[in-house]
Amino acid sequence: MNNEPASDRFVDPTPTDWNSAEMQARIRKRYASERRFKFLGLTAVVASAAFLAFLLLVMLGNGIGGFSQTRIALPIDFETAPIGLDPDLIRSGSGEAALAGADFRGLVDYAATEAYGPGADAWFSGGAWEIVRARIAADPDILLGKATFDLPAASDIDVANKGDGGAVSERAVADLERRGVISKSFNSAFLTGGDATDPALAGIWGALKGSLLTMAVTLALAFPIGVLASLYLEEYAPQNRWTDIIEVSINNLAAVPSIIFGLLALAVFINFFGMPTSSPLVGGLTLALMTMPVIVIAGRNAIKSVPPSIRDAALGVGASRVQVVFHHVLPLALPGILTGTIIGMARALGETAPLLLIGMRAFIADPPAGLSDAATVLPMQIFLWSDEVDKGFVEKTSAAIIVLLVVLLTMNALAVYFRNRFEKRW
Amino acid sequence: MTISGPALLFLVLGLGLVGWLTGRARARAFATSQGRQALHSLPSYHGWYVALWAIVPPLVFLAVWTALSPGLVTEAVLSTPAAQGLPADGFSRSAILGEARSIALGQLDAGFNPQAQAFVAPYREAMAHYSMLGAVAALLLLFAGWAFGYTRLKANFRARTRVERVVMALLLIASLIAILTTIGIVLSLVFESARFFGMVSPIAFLTGTNWNPSSGNVDPDLFGAIPLFWGTILIGAIIAMLVAIPLGLMSAIYLTQYAHSNVRAWMKPILEILAGVPTVVYGYFAALTVAPALRDFAVMIGIPQASSESAMAAGIVMGVMIIPFVSSMADDSINAVPQSMRDGSLAMGSTKSETIKQVILPAALPGVVGGVLLAVSRAIGETMIVVMAAGLSANMTANPFASVTTVTAQIVKLLTGDQEFDSAKTLAAFALGLVLFIVTLLLNIVALRVVKKYREAYE
Repeated sequence: MNNEPASDRFVDPTPTDWNSAEMQARIRKRYASERRFKFLGLTAVVASAAFLAFLLLVMLGNGIGGFSQTRIALPIDFETAPIGLDPDLIRSGSGEAALAGADFRGLVDYAATEAYGPGADAWFSGGAWEIVRARIAADPDILLGKATFDLPAASDIDVANKGDGGAVSERAVADLERRGVISKSFNSAFLTGGDATDPALAGIWGALKGSLLTMAVTLALAFPIGVLASLYLEEYAPQNRWTDIIEVSINNLAAVPSIIFGLLALAVFINFFGMPTSSPLVGGLTLALMTMPVIVIAGRNAIKSVPPSIRDAALGVGASRVQVVFHHVLPLALPGILTGTIIGMARALGETAPLLLIGMRAFIADPPAGLSDAATVLPMQIFLWSDEVDKGFVEKTSAAIIVLLVVLLTMNALAVYFRNRFEKRW
Repeated sequence: MTISGPALLFLVLGLGLVGWLTGRARARAFATSQGRQALHSLPSYHGWYVALWAIVPPLVFLAVWTALSPGLVTEAVLSTPAAQGLPADGFSRSAILGEARSIALGQLDAGFNPQAQAFVAPYREAMAHYSMLGAVAALLLLFAGWAFGYTRLKANFRARTRVERVVMALLLIASLIAILTTIGIVLSLVFESARFFGMVSPIAFLTGTNWNPSSGNVDPDLFGAIPLFWGTILIGAIIAMLVAIPLGLMSAIYLTQYAHSNVRAWMKPILEILAGVPTVVYGYFAALTVAPALRDFAVMIGIPQASSESAMAAGIVMGVMIIPFVSSMADDSINAVPQSMRDGSLAMGSTKSETIKQVILPAALPGVVGGVLLAVSRAIGETMIVVMAAGLSANMTANPFASVTTVTAQIVKLLTGDQEFDSAKTLAAFALGLVLFIVTLLLNIVALRVVKKYREAYE
């Protein structure tokens, strides 16, 4: 056995000379390593933030053009133009039929060739004639003389005017600029129109409305069910195996990949119950199943933070257990629940994968009128446009992304506001 | 005359409100005539009692009726004389009937099938008949329920107890929906996968290396999913984690240990935004900006098979998306390390970074590992980024600049074409979904175990 005291073996009796060159070098080395480590941490934070900034800037830079539209002034001389309409005919009873029968597309093509030379008819958007038609219908008297129309340009001219087009279009734009007839204006059709195959005409209103309908279904289902379930689990559930199973399944559902919910919806809602494919109803149901666990988890935390003294006081003055919860606990926990709900809804609004599987990726030009109409949602519209080869869709996609991000950031800011404004700290 | 579904619903709810008012009024009348003490429950509970009796039976009936009536309508249409001329073959028969039904509902303007037009009128008639029948029955039930509830009211009637029993049942039902969803997921995945494994053996599916499914063909050699598993692991568990773990962990360390509290208050929410950006935006960014840049880079340094859809692009962007997730998990476990351990280390003269590396991180390691496992489970379930940026060709390659495909991308590809639902191709998507579900579930369970075990050690 070794009876020697341990300290004699390990501790050098002479004190360390911190001022020796060797020790100073060692300290310098340790401090350098300290600085390096701190710098690495800072780099990580800055790199992550820089990536976010880069992403947002790229989307902004690509998408800002999607909100503006190139317009070309087109003079039409109705004296010579082949339209065969006159103001009296339009004002008469058969005006609608006369307008429907007239060849406005041909009129625009003719006027463009007259004004800017052969080939100029391709400079105008495929939907330009609708504007001419609308203005003639509103004011038939312009048919008697000359009029100038500010018409949307075709997609390749639009892209060239924003500085990224092919040689032919660039030349056309230069020509138009020399004449001073080309202009840029706010593209209101982008915010009010439906999807279209021509990027100059495509808008996001159809997708936005689809998103709104889908979210309405999601909220109407997920919020009440989530709140009631969290109240049950937090306030009434007995400690037994059933409660454990409920808790485990809620926690698991929160972590299940979203595409699995799409498979569930396809197998159960569409194939088993025969609900209409690509409808906001099925989309909303699917997203509600995904959002409900998020609301339950947030709701339970909010309910947990209401102090027991509130419950005891209410019970003490004779309230029943249901009254305690619905009159006192729920109102106090509501801000926290709402915060969780908004965050869950924001996540559902950005979700695409499960909706792909229930058929919401179809091309849909008309905004949906009801819950069972075929519809698409904003993230899906982004996905669909990102697949398009036409260069005009690049800026539309990014512009739609900007709209989506603005909506999501607003929702998150609202959640933060709710938390700060109404949440009580006990 | 027909009553539309929503109108009937509002009618029922409106009459329920009337029931509530009558119940409350009757209870108040008791109170005034017999003195307030005599009333067991507040008048509004009597109102609720009557309203529930009035609303619940018709609503349950309507739910059942909506499920049953289409079958009854079809039967009624088939019994009309016009049905004699229908083709015997089931498929064209149901096509004609379906078209006629859509026209009758006003969803279609005109049918493609000339025969359909003949059934529009019988359909309209039958639908009107049955919807009228349903509405009348629902209203009768409503009045019967109301009368039952109303006549039972007495001054000492325990209305509150009964209403609260219904509330409790409602709460329990809401909680059970989570279980129902889980069961629904498991059953739908297992059933459809079982049908798939009836055509293609599970062993061929799980061990085959050639993935090239087509609708008509059930050759097991075309359903080898190993390339998909490899692609998923390469993107989600390797490349994405190589980005997310260092950046997320170092961010968490910097923000919890070094940063000024003002910096932390600003930087944390900014990093959280990364988690809030929709995945379709990341996918678009990866496909539009990151992937072309990476391809040019790969071509420049001479890597063969560089593709504009690459594992690298999808993995890097996915890693960035996961950063806040890793960071907040690491944040939690670093904060859970007792302050005394930190102080002890600093008191011994070690620098901050030495404390972090030699004391805090080893102590926080189980939590960090749990967080990383959860992050992996999230990365392999991620769909949009890989659909848009990783490509669809099932390659077995370790070259991160080549195009690979993943389980989720293939599920989307298999289910978004135009094909009948029962082909091996569509069922294969459910088998892939089952594998994905099991793997993410296992990862989550293991991760939560690790985290929980560690927390117990310090509390």
